[in-house]
Amino acid sequence: MKLETFSYLPALSGEQLEMQVRAILDRGLVVGIEYTTAPDPRNHYWTMWKLPLFGPADPAAVLAELDECRKANLSAFIKVNGYDRTRQGQVVSFVASRPAEDD
Amino acid sequence: MFEAGVREYREIYWTPEYQPRDTDVLAAFRVVPQPGVAPEEAAAAVAAESSTATWTNVWTDWLTTVERYQAHAYCLEPVPGRADQFIACIAYPLELFEEGSVPSLMPSITGNVFGFKAIRALRLEDLRIPVALVTTYQGPPAGIQVERDRLNKYGRPLLGATLKPKLGLSARNYGRACYELLAGGLDFTKDDENITSQPFMRWRDRYQFVMEAVGKAEQETGERKGHYLNVTAPDCELMLERAEFARELGSPIIMHDYLVGGFAAHTTLSKWCRRNGILLHVHRALHAVLDRQKDHGINFRVLAKWLRLAGGDHLHAGTVVGKLEGERETTLGVVDLLRENFVSANRARGLYFDQDWASLPAVLPVASGGIHVWHMPALVEIFGDDSVLQFGGGSAGHPDGSRAGATANRVALEACVQARNEGRDLTAEGTQVLKDAAARSPELAAALDTWREIRFDFDTVDTPDVMPA
Repeated sequence: MKLETFSYLPALSGEQLEMQVRAILDRGLVVGIEYTTAPDPRNHYWTMWKLPLFGPADPAAVLAELDECRKANLSAFIKVNGYDRTRQGQVVSFVASRPAEDD
Repeated sequence: MFEAGVREYREIYWTPEYQPRDTDVLAAFRVVPQPGVAPEEAAAAVAAESSTATWTNVWTDWLTTVERYQAHAYCLEPVPGRADQFIACIAYPLELFEEGSVPSLMPSITGNVFGFKAIRALRLEDLRIPVALVTTYQGPPAGIQVERDRLNKYGRPLLGATLKPKLGLSARNYGRACYELLAGGLDFTKDDENITSQPFMRWRDRYQFVMEAVGKAEQETGERKGHYLNVTAPDCELMLERAEFARELGSPIIMHDYLVGGFAAHTTLSKWCRRNGILLHVHRALHAVLDRQKDHGINFRVLAKWLRLAGGDHLHAGTVVGKLEGERETTLGVVDLLRENFVSANRARGLYFDQDWASLPAVLPVASGGIHVWHMPALVEIFGDDSVLQFGGGSAGHPDGSRAGATANRVALEACVQARNEGRDLTAEGTQVLKDAAARSPELAAALDTWREIRFDFDTVDTPDVMPA
């Protein structure tokens, strides 16, 4: 199964993931983390992992949340979103973690 | 007191002191007068014949106030390197135009005046639509952000392909070609504009097979897919019948050829799409007949503005690098007009006026025609995320077929987006980015080998007067 942006590339390494997160933050976007066990393309509302990280954030903080989310939801797909308040919509979204058995 | 006779146009219509109002429609015309016709008289003639005047005084002028409805030619400027021509700016009062109607703009501004004998050639270069008029139009049925939200696609250009051969496939084989491309990794497939409902493939049969392909590819990939079902038809009733059948089959998007169908039909369809929650892909056959010659016709940026007013979610706008005409700065000017909410005048991009779109939804520019994987770094750099990149031959021409071709394009696209986000310069490093990605993708490696030498290096016909420094 493919899941949109970056799903045709090899899984991102820790370093590559950090660079993508940094790019989102450098654009001034708000990062949000969502997870689900049912990644159907018509399922627009995955479960939010806490509230989006409003205010200043650094890549390490985002990666730590991602890790925590992964540990609490071992069988979930987890995506990282970048939200643009001016445009009032998501402009970045990719699946950053898949369940272990799916890798 | 009515006096019969003929006056020079410039007595009334050449008004260099006129200050354009915020509510005026402003036009920039490239004018080539006949030998012996003074520039002021030629500009005044354009203003006169495209607004209130006819060739002679008429008594009925005295029943109204011509000053209230007349256009004003208010500036003239030379064109660098072309002594035979100049740019004339003309202001039209808002009251001359019906609300929400492109067919009301065209007969005045692009009407008889283009055949006027005292003018050797005439080209409408730009048209400023005032906010007061913009807000009377519906605009795109969905717009870029709503399309992304519906289809769940973010942070990258969308990928499409036109099905080839463009004529002669049966409906079942056509659906097969569609399925292979979508399952391979494209977001959209497209009817070629030549495909309507011919004896070899009637529209209903095509729609049914294609939607089976779309549904199957969605199930297999876990991604939303779509096919631009062309609803361009011999009459408006059939156009809507096709649109309704596409909706019944669950298609998220349909397609129309807006200049071929005409603005009245197109606007009807655009409003139907808004009512029904369906995206509208817009093809532009006929545009090069109107816009390619530098001295005469209508510049594409005006045809693009009219489309944003009438409504469309995708519009073909040139590739810069492919097989079809499209100078880089001029194309970027059109792309800004389609995507931005406010676009400033910029002569290097051929933009004569500021354009405020007043929150009218935006249109995704589509780059299509002779592009392939080697162009991917340049396309991502030129068009950014909010675009549709279409690889027809560049997908189905892959040595291992459409599915492998589609995968090659998707891998190349994602590798370029990833590299760009990492801060790498795609102009300088694009080739390396593609080669690195190909090391892990046999589909991309084969595509890179196939199209290595194909280039389209010809001079552009339609160039801006002002070149960037």
